[in-house]
Amino acid sequence: MGDDYSSVWSYRLKWLYTLLVVFTLMLPVFYVIYVSFNQNGFGAAEYVFTFEWYGEIFSDLLLLGALGNTFILAGITLAVAVPMGLIAAKFYKATEAKLLTVSLLLSPLFVPADILGSALLVFFKNLNIACATIGEWLGVSWFDTWFELGYFSALVGLIIYTLPYIFVVILITMGRYNEQQTEAARSCGATAWQAFVQVEFPQIRAGVFSACAFAVILTFNEYTRTSLLKGGYDTITSVLISQMLNEGMSEQSYAMSSLISFIAIALIGSIILYTLVQSERLEREARAKAEPVMSG
Amino acid sequence: MSQDIAVQVTDLSKNYGPVQALRGVDLSIAAGEYFVLLGPSGGGKTTLLRLLGGFIRPSAGRILLHGIDVSEQPPNHRPTSMVFQSFALFPHMNVAQNIGYGLRLRKLPKVEIDERVAAMLDLVGLGDLADRMPHALSGGQQQRVQLGRSLVLETDILLLDEPLAALDAKLRKDMCLELKHLQEQVGITFVHVTHNQEEAMTVADNMAIIADGELVETGTARDLYENPRRRFTADFIGETNIFDGTVTGVNNGEVAVDLGFAALTVDDNGQCPNVGTEVSVSIRSELVQILRSGIAVAADQQTLTANYGEAVYLGLATSHVAALPNGQAVVARHVSTGLALDVIAPGSSVELAWPRSMMRLHLS
Amino acid sequence: MGKALFLAPIVFMTLFFALPLALTVVWSVFERTMFWMEPGFTLFAYENFFFSARLENFLSSMWHSSISVVVAFIFGFPVAVFVRRRIPQVAQHRVILLFILPFMVSEIIRIFALRPVLQRTGLVNNVLLELGVITEPITVILYTPLGVIIGEVLSFLPFIVFAGFLAMEAVPKYIFEICDDLGAPRHRVFIDVILPLAAPGIFAGAVFIFVNGLGVALLPNILGGPGAVNAGLIATQAIAALDFPLAMAVSAIMMTTLLGLLYIGHRLFDLTRILSPIN
Repeated sequence: MGDDYSSVWSYRLKWLYTLLVVFTLMLPVFYVIYVSFNQNGFGAAEYVFTFEWYGEIFSDLLLLGALGNTFILAGITLAVAVPMGLIAAKFYKATEAKLLTVSLLLSPLFVPADILGSALLVFFKNLNIACATIGEWLGVSWFDTWFELGYFSALVGLIIYTLPYIFVVILITMGRYNEQQTEAARSCGATAWQAFVQVEFPQIRAGVFSACAFAVILTFNEYTRTSLLKGGYDTITSVLISQMLNEGMSEQSYAMSSLISFIAIALIGSIILYTLVQSERLEREARAKAEPVMSG
Repeated sequence: MSQDIAVQVTDLSKNYGPVQALRGVDLSIAAGEYFVLLGPSGGGKTTLLRLLGGFIRPSAGRILLHGIDVSEQPPNHRPTSMVFQSFALFPHMNVAQNIGYGLRLRKLPKVEIDERVAAMLDLVGLGDLADRMPHALSGGQQQRVQLGRSLVLETDILLLDEPLAALDAKLRKDMCLELKHLQEQVGITFVHVTHNQEEAMTVADNMAIIADGELVETGTARDLYENPRRRFTADFIGETNIFDGTVTGVNNGEVAVDLGFAALTVDDNGQCPNVGTEVSVSIRSELVQILRSGIAVAADQQTLTANYGEAVYLGLATSHVAALPNGQAVVARHVSTGLALDVIAPGSSVELAWPRSMMRLHLS
Repeated sequence: MGKALFLAPIVFMTLFFALPLALTVVWSVFERTMFWMEPGFTLFAYENFFFSARLENFLSSMWHSSISVVVAFIFGFPVAVFVRRRIPQVAQHRVILLFILPFMVSEIIRIFALRPVLQRTGLVNNVLLELGVITEPITVILYTPLGVIIGEVLSFLPFIVFAGFLAMEAVPKYIFEICDDLGAPRHRVFIDVILPLAAPGIFAGAVFIFVNGLGVALLPNILGGPGAVNAGLIATQAIAALDFPLAMAVSAIMMTTLLGLLYIGHRLFDLTRILSPIN
């Protein structure tokens, strides 16, 4: 592409550069995948190809337990953060305090994981103490454990982490939606909810699904906040890092990380494909609008 | 109930923060009338329409539709239906589904929905396009589907927000007449917003001029064109020459106005200005004649001496521009005759003449 | 009821994000106890930070982080310009999506996998030795500040591509045609047109990388040598040592740095311009 006079070779060279950058960024990932297929494991002088480690994932109870925990966290994060992102995007569209809303929702991107994790850790510990103190005063104990480190606190960390991404993805999809269609539906007699479900949602579905994929992938890969806030149980990444920092990752762990990356890459790959199909359809529509099929 | 009032609006205002989009509008529209809200962009006419439709909530004032106060009602509880400016069809539904959407919401039996949709498709002339998706329709067809989607609901009031603005000029003309005939056929109240004068005059039984958030004037197209009360209306509708001056005398229904370089006498048209007030006098450009100096004029003509500027050929009409002694340009517009007699040398002195009785006085 | 639901995300973020971060300032002046802290007012934690090797570490991590920003910009921004300028509109987002592929693998695994790539007997050295470019393995690329910088660039480069891509939205395509028409040389187009228009987005991307370079503990922990300590590592180490006021002081200092940077950026470029694509 480009204009008609620019050199094809400079265009190809730029493409090559772009792919080279992506490849370099992916290098560590490829390396992990490479190791996961080695019979002799990481750092061995000899390379023997095998699927063995993939089979052994399912007999590694520590890894499987952690996988289960991660799935639960990812599921709840999905169920909470995606609707929240949707509501936040609708709120953003309607509110007049746009700057404040968007700053609040996007600033978690700018706060490093360790800093937010530490602050939340101390926050929850304090809440816990406050709950216990108040409980003692009142002589009740049923809310003593509300804010103990565990699933709840880990979830809060994950929601804060994923919400900005979900918000942005949904907001960008909503940007292509013509608000007047909602008004048209209202004017046909639809309630606000009917207009959303029957008219708006079918058109922003792609964005919501991408947001779901984001939420799951981010949850699976998150380490810092979860490890600070999770309390006693393990997630995939916390198992992996404790292995890394101690005796080095087990072969099954390499296989597990690769497996997760495969799934994630397949997911994103299908999203890319889906948007490809979608965007070509949208382009066709745009062309059709620009050049009416027939006049009158 | 033939003289029923469809829309009654009292002291209606809408603020966006410190910005007043609409200020204290009072308006009533009779049932079965084709009513046009005309005005420049950003003047508040769309705000008024959206207030009627219930898409925005009034900051002050009441809206009565067929005598019922709907000021606090959402759009789906009002007897209105809206046609939008942009192509606001549902892109994931075909033509028939778009038109039938409102009926499905009302949970009508499928047979009845199909019948009414089919009848509506015929009415708006899209009988053979029922299965088309919106993106495969031309702009004009899309607007017909929008019309159908609203009309099929058989609401009492149809609101149209610049429905033809996105169409090209030729198509707009055709659709204009079609809209008018459609309204006569279905007999419900149409409230149509536009900034296009010709469009407004084609369709309107009555219209209102809205500018700067205020209702300037209401009347029939003929009233507003021939006999505007407000200076703004005179300036906005048609091509008009306006002279600002001071009242120097009021006598027996006639007002003398001093322009500084000349004096005019104009009928007061029922208005009673005081001596010394600032007023305007206007004359439509097609009534102004340009005469070579020295030619005798009839007694009922008002004349002013001017310097001829240039002629601008516009096809059907030719505009002649001349400058008054104070520098103000006056336009005289006539059907192009193609005769060489039309040619006057630039810079030469000419007489501008027009019938005295056609001048209009504006106090504001 | 419906209205309250719409406020839920705002309430949630205020309660669990803004409030804890704001309270770090309060907790940072609490008295440290054996296992926890108690209300009081002492600047001991700040003293502990500013009058020790920690300040020096913090400042040098700032320096390394700045280098990472510049390197990431040099490698990443041209990609954003290329995609905006030369790729057809409908395909642009797809190309940009390529850059989220690395995120499909946990940050920690990516960083950890850099060890075997960069180490003395690692991939890079092996390839270079094979090719005969070097005769001795390079040892300065791991467990050194250089290692941390490499890790930061590889971890955060996609963000400068994203930010740059959004920023280039502010540079309409016809601008390039005007520049071609006027015969402006490339570097002038870049300095006179692209930079000023895209500045808010570029700045946001730069701040993102800078702050994360200061705050992500894993990078110096896994790739850095003995002296490589950034704010994130100080905070997590303080938590491990049960010195909560110090951890909170570091958080407060980080938040102040971030807010300061954003304030300066806003004064210089009006950061609200970044939002125009989504409005």
